[in-house]
Amino acid sequence: MRLVLERFTHNALALLAVTTILFFMFRLMPGTPLAAFINENLNADQQQAMLEQFGLDKPMWQQYGIYLGNLLTGQMGLSFFQRRPVTDILLEVLPNSVILTLTSLIIAYIFGVLAGAWLAWKRGSWIERVAVPVVLATRAAPEFWIGMVLLAFLSFHLGWFPSGGASSPGLAYTSNWGRIFSFDYLQHLALPVITLALYLQGLPLLLMRSNMLEVMHEEFVTMARMKGLSEWRIVIGHAARNALLPVVTAFALGVGLSMGGNVVIETVFSWPGIGRMLVQAVSVHDYPLAQGAFLMIALVLALMNFVADLLYMVLDPRVSHGRKG
Amino acid sequence: MAERAEPLVAPGWRLSPVVRRMLAMPLRDPFAFTGVLIYLLFAAVALFADQLAPTDPMEILFTKAGKVAANLGPSAEFPLGTTNLGRDIYAQLIHGTRSALAVGLSAAAIVATVGTVVGLVSGYFGGWVDALLMRVADMALSLPFLPFVIVLTGFLGADTRNIVLAVALLLWPNSARVIRSQVLSLRERAYVEAARVTGASQARILFVHIAPNILPLSFVYAAIAIGWAIITEASVNFLGFGDPTSVSWGMMLQDAFTSQALSRGQYAWFVPPGICIILVVVAGFFISRGYEEVFMPRLRGR
Amino acid sequence: MTHAPVLSVEDLQIHYRTRDGVARAVDGASFVVPEGRIVGLVGESGCGKTTAVRAVMGVLAENGWRAGGKVVFKGQSIDASNTRPLLWRDIAYVPQSAMSSLDPVYTVGAQVVEVLTKRGGASRAVAKARAAELFDLVGLSERRLADYPHQFSGGMRQRAAIAMALALEPSLLLADEPVTALDVIVQRQILDMLRDLQQRLRLSMVMVTHDISVVAYLCDEVVVMYAGQVVESGPVREVLARPRHPYTMGLRNAFPDLLSNAMELVPIHGSPPDLREPLAGCRFAPRCPFVQPACTAGDFPAALNGGHLSACRRDGEADAIRIAALDPETWQRSSNSAMS
Repeated sequence: MRLVLERFTHNALALLAVTTILFFMFRLMPGTPLAAFINENLNADQQQAMLEQFGLDKPMWQQYGIYLGNLLTGQMGLSFFQRRPVTDILLEVLPNSVILTLTSLIIAYIFGVLAGAWLAWKRGSWIERVAVPVVLATRAAPEFWIGMVLLAFLSFHLGWFPSGGASSPGLAYTSNWGRIFSFDYLQHLALPVITLALYLQGLPLLLMRSNMLEVMHEEFVTMARMKGLSEWRIVIGHAARNALLPVVTAFALGVGLSMGGNVVIETVFSWPGIGRMLVQAVSVHDYPLAQGAFLMIALVLALMNFVADLLYMVLDPRVSHGRKG
Repeated sequence: MAERAEPLVAPGWRLSPVVRRMLAMPLRDPFAFTGVLIYLLFAAVALFADQLAPTDPMEILFTKAGKVAANLGPSAEFPLGTTNLGRDIYAQLIHGTRSALAVGLSAAAIVATVGTVVGLVSGYFGGWVDALLMRVADMALSLPFLPFVIVLTGFLGADTRNIVLAVALLLWPNSARVIRSQVLSLRERAYVEAARVTGASQARILFVHIAPNILPLSFVYAAIAIGWAIITEASVNFLGFGDPTSVSWGMMLQDAFTSQALSRGQYAWFVPPGICIILVVVAGFFISRGYEEVFMPRLRGR
Repeated sequence: MTHAPVLSVEDLQIHYRTRDGVARAVDGASFVVPEGRIVGLVGESGCGKTTAVRAVMGVLAENGWRAGGKVVFKGQSIDASNTRPLLWRDIAYVPQSAMSSLDPVYTVGAQVVEVLTKRGGASRAVAKARAAELFDLVGLSERRLADYPHQFSGGMRQRAAIAMALALEPSLLLADEPVTALDVIVQRQILDMLRDLQQRLRLSMVMVTHDISVVAYLCDEVVVMYAGQVVESGPVREVLARPRHPYTMGLRNAFPDLLSNAMELVPIHGSPPDLREPLAGCRFAPRCPFVQPACTAGDFPAALNGGHLSACRRDGEADAIRIAALDPETWQRSSNSAMS
C-alpha cells in the first residue's frame, strides 16, 4: 500500500511539473502574457470573464496558483476560434482518440505476443533471421508514412476504405454508442487502426520474443524439463507466464505514449481526435485550446504510467507479496 | 552486464582493448556491419549530393512548351518524376540526405554527451546531485514527446535547430538512467576500489576506469537517437511545422500529402523518402543491437 | 554386496559446442550407485560432476550432447530419448539453488501439486493432501504451501526442493550441491534430514559436492572427479583414510578437520586443464607433485583394489606417496614446476 502511494505521488508530481513547464512556456511565448488566454477573437464579455477567471492582471505567482485551481475544476479557458470552453471541445474529441488508441494497441499486442512467442520458439531458424529485421523495419518506418501508403493503395486506389474523417457526412445517430458501433464509423476506423497496429506490433513482438528467450534459459525452466512436464506446460504455463509480465506493463505505458504519438496518424486520416486538435490549435495559435490538448495528453500519460506501476505491483508476486521469515 | 574479471582498460585508454573492441564490433556482427554500410552510403550521398543531383531541388522546372513540369511520372530525365509544382523529386531525395544526417547526428551527439555526462556524474557522486539530476530526468520523461516538439516548434518557430533541441531535451534521460545504473554497479567493482585505495583521483577513476566501460552504452543510445531524431523531424515537417525552405524527407512527405499525391497514386513521390527513413533508422537499430551484444553478451543460439 | 546397482554410468562422454571449439566436459567417466546407498560425487568446479548428473536425466544445455558411453538405470539403458517416463517418477533432482529452480510467479504449493497431478495423475484434492504430507516430511509447515518462493528462507527453500523431489516416490535422488549455498548450521540440519529420509524411504542417492567434508559426513561411497574423468572411487572410509590418488590426497589436505592432527591448509597449486584441448595420459599431471614421464605418455587403465579404484599410474606406490602427501612441503615444491 505504501508503494502505491509512493507511485501515485511520483506520477502526480511529474504531472505537476509538466503543468508548470507548460504554464511558463506559454507565458514566455512571443506576445503579451495576456495572450495565453485573451485574443481579439473573443467578444468583450468573454475577454473580461477570462481576465477575472485566470487573474491575468495579478502577479505571475498568483496566476500560477489560480491556474492550477482552475485546472482541477476543469476550467481551461475559452478557445479563441471556437469561442467556447476548451474543456467541452476536448471532451467531445477525446473518445475518438481513446477508441483509436485502445483498438490499435489491443490488436497490436495480441498479435505481437503470439508472434513473439512463436518466433522465440523458432529460434535459430531462417524464419527468425528474416522476421526480426522485417519487424525492425516496421518500427523504423514513420507511422504516418505507413498510413500514407495504405491510404493511397487501399483507399484511393482500391476504394476499400474511406479516405478520412470518422464519419460520412449527413449521417445522424440516436446515441454515441450507436454512432461508435455503426458500420460507417468502423469503416472509417479501420484504416487508421490497421496503420497504427502495424506500427505498434513491433514492440510487443520483440519484447515477448526476447523475454521468452531469456526465460527459457532460466533454471526453473530446466527444472520443469527435469520433472518431465509437457513442452506445452513448460512453454505456456511457465515460460510465457513469466515473459508476459513486462509486456503487460508495456501495454499500459503504450496507451500513454500512443495518445501523444497519434498526432500524426490523426492528421493523415483526418481523424477527429485530441492529437489533431492539438496540431490545428498550434497552427492557428489558439493558445488555450493548444494548452488544453497538450495537458490532456500529458494527463493520460501520467495516468497510464501510474496504471503501469500498479499492474507491475499486482502481477509480480515478488512485489505484491512481501518477504516473510 | 559483462562479467569480466579483468578491468577493461589500461591507463592511456585511447588504444585500449575496449576501444578496439568497439570499433571492431561491426566486423563480427553482420547486421551491425550492414548498418554501418548504410550509414556510409548515406554519408557519401550527402557529401556528393551536388554531383549526384545537379538540379536545384527547390527550383520550379518548366517543360519545353513553357508550362510548369508538374506531376510528371518517372523518366530518364526525372528518375522519380516531379512534384505538383514541377520540382525534381529525385533531387529532393538526394539533397534531403543532408538534412537527415545533420539532424540525426547533431541530436545523437547531444543525447550521447548529455546522457553520458549526467549518467556518470549522477551514478558516481550520488547524493543530492544524483537526486536532482534524476528528478530533472523524470520531468523530461513525463512530457509527451511529439506534442511537446510540436508546441515548441509551433511557437518558437520552424527552425530545424529547435527540433533537434526538443528531441535532445526529451531523449537524454533514457541513456542517462541506464548509464547511471551501470556506473553504480561499476563503482563497487574490485579494481575501482583498488584504484581508490592506491590514491587515484576522482577524475582519474571516472575517466580512466569507469567511462570506457560505459562507452558502448553511449553508442547504443546515440545510434537509437539518430533514428528517433530523423523520424521526429519528419513527423514535425509532415505536420507543417517544419522549415518549408529546407529540403528534407519529411518536407517531401508533407508536400506530397497536401498536394493530393495520394489520390493521384504518385507512389514515386512519397514512397522513396519513407524507404530512406526506414533504411537509416534500421541501420541505427542494427548498430545499437550490435553494441548491446558487446555489452551484455548473450548466447545468440550459436 | 549382492545388490545390483540402481545406476551404472559407463564411460560417459558429454561434449559441448563452444565458440572456440568442442569442450569435453565429461570424458570417459564411470561409476556405480549401489541400491540404497548414498554416493558422493566430488570434485572442483568444472570437473564435470554436475554435467554427468544432468546427463543421467537426459537434460543438457542446447549446445551439449552425449558423445559416448552408457547410462544404465535398473538394468535399462537410458538416454535422452527414453528418460521421459522415468523423470521424477523414478529419478528426481534436487537443485543447488532452489530459488532459481522454482517459478517465481506460482506458489510453491501450486508447483508441488502440478508435479503430482500432471506427472502423478492424482486429482487436485489428493495432490493437495499429499503436498501437505511432503512438507511435513521435510519439516515445513503446511501453511507454507500458499507462499511464493521468494518468501522462503534459503534453508526452507532447500527443504521445499527436497519435498518436491520426493513427490512421486522416486528410487534415485540426484542432489546437486544441495547444501552449498547454506550456512553451516542449516547445512547440518539438511544433511541429517537427507540421511533420515534416505533410510526411511530406502532411497539411493547421488550427492554432488565440492566439499569433501559433506561426503565424509553423509556418504557411503565416494567418486572423485577431475577434468571430466573419475580419478578415484570406493567406500568413503577407505578412500578418505587411505587415498590412492594424489588429487584426492590434495583435496583431503584442504579440509584439515578430516584429519586428526591439526594441519595447515595446503592448497593444490595451478588450475584444471582446458577441456577443449585434446589431452593424453593423466590430466592431473601438470599439478601433481609425484608426476613422472610415464604419467603423460599415454592412457592407461585404472587400478582396482577390492572396491577401491584409482586412476594413478603409480598406484603401486600409493602408500609411500600418501605419506609424502601429508607433508605441506611436497605441495609447495610442486608449485614451482606446476603449470598455471
